[in-house]
Amino acid sequence: MYTLRKFYEPYVSPFDPCPPIRVKSYVTPPNLYMGFQPPGLEQYSAREALQKGTLWKAFYDPYPSKREE
Amino acid sequence: MSQKQLPKEYYELLEELQAVDFVLVELTLYLDTHPNDYEAIQQFNEYAKMKKQLKKRYEKEYGPLQQYGNSYSNYPWDWKDAPWPWQV
Repeated sequence: MYTLRKFYEPYVSPFDPCPPIRVKSYVTPPNLYMGFQPPGLEQYSAREALQKGTLWKAFYDPYPSKREE
Repeated sequence: MSQKQLPKEYYELLEELQAVDFVLVELTLYLDTHPNDYEAIQQFNEYAKMKKQLKKRYEKEYGPLQQYGNSYSNYPWDWKDAPWPWQV
């Protein structure tokens, strides 16, 4: 499954006072990758949807931290 | 004044009601942008019926769930009795 976390390498200047962070990342929401929502997507049960925060499985976004992933 | 403790079934019923309400909210938002999705409308009406039944069950045992005419009242007026549904 593709990950929602994207990575990029910021520019590291020779004059940076602190040790550089070579790779940084950010999390993107799942609805970014889906244009107009198609009908008949797979759904959670009512109780599960309440717990997960969305009715459709495609939009579930636990927003994991870098460590968890 | 002894605090009125609610039975376990109260919380289960309320959680079920919350789950059904959440599905209805999601479907309402979905149907705003997909007005002719027939299955979604069927599911919406199904859950609306479920909600009415749950609400009736709740009100038979624990008193009014909502106010301003959304729920019948017992005699005497018990809306003021703690706890309100959102306080539990």
